Amino acid sequence: MRRIIILALLLEGMRLVLPLGTGSSSAHSLLTFGFLILAAYTSGEVADSFRMPRIVGYLVAGVLFGPSALNIVTVEATNELAPVSSLAIALIAFLAGAELRWSELRERGRAITLILTSELGITFVALSALLIGLRNYVPFLQSAPTPTMIGFSLLFASIAVVHSPAVTMALLTETGARGPVARTTLGVVLVSDVVVIMLFSAVLALARALVPPNTGDVAAISLGSVVWELGGAVVVGTVLGAAVALYLRFVKRELMLFAVLVTFFGSEIARLVHVETLLTLLTAGFVMENISRDGDGDALRHAMERSGAPVFVVFFALAGAAMAVTEVVAIWPLVIPIVLVRAAGIWTGCRIGGRWARVPAKTGNLVWMGLISQAGVAIGLATVIAEVYPTRGAPIRTLFLATLAVNQIAGPILFRMALARGGELGEEETATTTAVAST
Amino acid sequence: MSSTLLLVLVAASAYLAAHVVFGWLGRKYLVVSGAEYLVLGIVLGPHVTRVLTPEVVDSFAPITTLALGWMGAAVGMRMYLPDLVKVPGVTFRLALAESALTFLLVGGTEMIVLAWLYEISLFQAALPAAALAGIATASSSAGVELAATRLNERGVEVTQLGVSVLVNAIVAVVSFGLLASIWHRPVMVNDRPLTATEWMTITLGMGVIGGVLFHLFVGDERESDRIFVSLAGGVILVSGAAAFAGLSPLLAALVFGAILVNTSRNRAELATSIAHVERPLYFVLLVFAGAAWQPGNSAWILPVVLFLAIRALAKVGGARLVTRINGMLPVLGPDWGRGLLGQGGLALAIALNYVYQDGGTLPYFVFTASIASVLLTDLMSARLVQSVLAPLIERRHALLRPADGPPAPDGGP
Repeated sequence: MRRIIILALLLEGMRLVLPLGTGSSSAHSLLTFGFLILAAYTSGEVADSFRMPRIVGYLVAGVLFGPSALNIVTVEATNELAPVSSLAIALIAFLAGAELRWSELRERGRAITLILTSELGITFVALSALLIGLRNYVPFLQSAPTPTMIGFSLLFASIAVVHSPAVTMALLTETGARGPVARTTLGVVLVSDVVVIMLFSAVLALARALVPPNTGDVAAISLGSVVWELGGAVVVGTVLGAAVALYLRFVKRELMLFAVLVTFFGSEIARLVHVETLLTLLTAGFVMENISRDGDGDALRHAMERSGAPVFVVFFALAGAAMAVTEVVAIWPLVIPIVLVRAAGIWTGCRIGGRWARVPAKTGNLVWMGLISQAGVAIGLATVIAEVYPTRGAPIRTLFLATLAVNQIAGPILFRMALARGGELGEEETATTTAVAST
Repeated sequence: MSSTLLLVLVAASAYLAAHVVFGWLGRKYLVVSGAEYLVLGIVLGPHVTRVLTPEVVDSFAPITTLALGWMGAAVGMRMYLPDLVKVPGVTFRLALAESALTFLLVGGTEMIVLAWLYEISLFQAALPAAALAGIATASSSAGVELAATRLNERGVEVTQLGVSVLVNAIVAVVSFGLLASIWHRPVMVNDRPLTATEWMTITLGMGVIGGVLFHLFVGDERESDRIFVSLAGGVILVSGAAAFAGLSPLLAALVFGAILVNTSRNRAELATSIAHVERPLYFVLLVFAGAAWQPGNSAWILPVVLFLAIRALAKVGGARLVTRINGMLPVLGPDWGRGLLGQGGLALAIALNYVYQDGGTLPYFVFTASIASVLLTDLMSARLVQSVLAPLIERRHALLRPADGPPAPDGGP
């Protein structure tokens, strides 16, 4: 009842204030930001009361208040708040890296590699085959010659296999889960981001060979640029992480402000030197955690979680607002098979990979549920396709966004189920739900 | 190197350096940190080195608006009624009278001077004059805190200064909120423009609803992260709503803060959270206020100098007058108003809010006057307070010495 009153007050307040606007976009973005913090957080609590992840509540709030429904959060407002999303991604990447310990990587490295190889490979092949099989129904494959059909099927599959570090981290922070399912899933998700970028680059090169783009001034993606983008990110991230560890060792003050500045600074540096932002901050967090003194890393992580709390809520709400709900409805006969085949590929790959790595059956049978969510990284890749192939790239992006919408809702629910079945919720969730409830 | 990156580097290193260098400077030389960030902003701004372009400054407008709201909430959080009712009534009388005198004197003088200098009507000059009056009323608490800590004193003199600073802040914020309501551009609702009273009600209502939402949101929670999210969400919503409607985020957030401090069970946690974020936002505000400054023509020099002189006269002379009228000269002495000369972030916040308002007359002159006042008085504010407190405290201690000690000075309590 209390939550309904909050949402009603917020909605009515916005309804009264919006007509009074002076047209200042900066004030409008601040107002929208404040509204989303409270409304999305409340929606998260409603989701929690139905035993669903709070992230689902944040996403649903975005869909409900966004352009697809009530339009309280307009398209312009979502564009104005883009820096918030960038900051959130940077914070999440740093926190994700700080979750990984070298000893743990050594312990689980083989399992992560084998599971990842298996599930990515099987899912990629399955999705490519599905699209080729359904080519007469897929907008960008209809009447396409064979090389085009193969090239674009592979392109779509290469971005559809991506997972979501943001959702994984947010759910682990919300639940406090630290068991083998949680740690293995996190490891697979984090490494997959790097692998998918390499896979996408290779597939795009192949597609360009099969289907030369019409646009004459699109720069080729060379092997060198990909190597720099990834290798340089590791180098830059290492230096940044070491600098953070030094700060924690000798200064260790104003950690909340420092946390925001580090992520802001790290993303800006990554952008300037053209390296992969997510990997840069992930590496920085990993290095910081593994070379700083005991307790220092925890202090910074807590400060980051605290300062990032309102940012994360708004980030997922904005992701919900950007969801292509109408596209899902329009092309659902195509979306559902893709979603199901992707899930089946992940499930099969994880089981095979888990057995191959001799992972305990309980873990191997549950990890796949944490890999369903999809992330904004793939949206960026879909945008690259649209730039290289403007004609066919737009429907690829549309179809991808539609499948992403379904997976973004289903993914957190399934992951939470996996953690529950693995016995990794319970006491941790009770103890930490309020502590990290903001994410 | 991008402007944004350079700004991050500069702001970060400057802020962190403050804890090492300026903290030490403050303790050793009784210097308040703040004005140097203003100078930094001016130097980096579009009119000096152009490191911060106008586009970059504009892109940070949401953060400066948030800083305004956060400062307003911080002022409101100091209005804890159970503590305020313990303060003697005469303390409030002196504070309120001094604030009113300063407001009227500065406002009246500036209205005449601006009308004459810029050849505008008295009505047109009234708006910037009233804004300047509000800015002149505000005083800095940093100097009072620093000096009191240095002297290790919390007696009646420090209480008077502390209460005066609070009342100054409230009068300044409320008067500016009224200005924003009175001079609001017409907005048609139900086929008629809203009146000033309605705009003021809306401003206050935003703060009230923000407070209600906070309590509904927090519920029975006591966990600090949850409270922080609620607080941040509330301040952002209230300041954003007020700024969006062309009203004063300072006043709306002040009401929000006042409601929170007087109705919440988590008062200590809230005060800590507010203070923790206020300081970095304050420095951001100073840097961007400096970067947002625009030099006008030479006609601003005379009214700015006059503003500084009249303000000093009002603070010192006005405080002396009201003290004499209330028979408190033996307790507070004639010059305690000197301790109110220091100006800090609140004066700049009001000036920046005025610049952001639609339809404000002479915005950059008002802004220049506030910057000049802050630059001149902020660094010295603690020394000014000490110069007032030290003799009073010494006199009080002398009177309390045993009977065979030195005789009490004439007029002593």
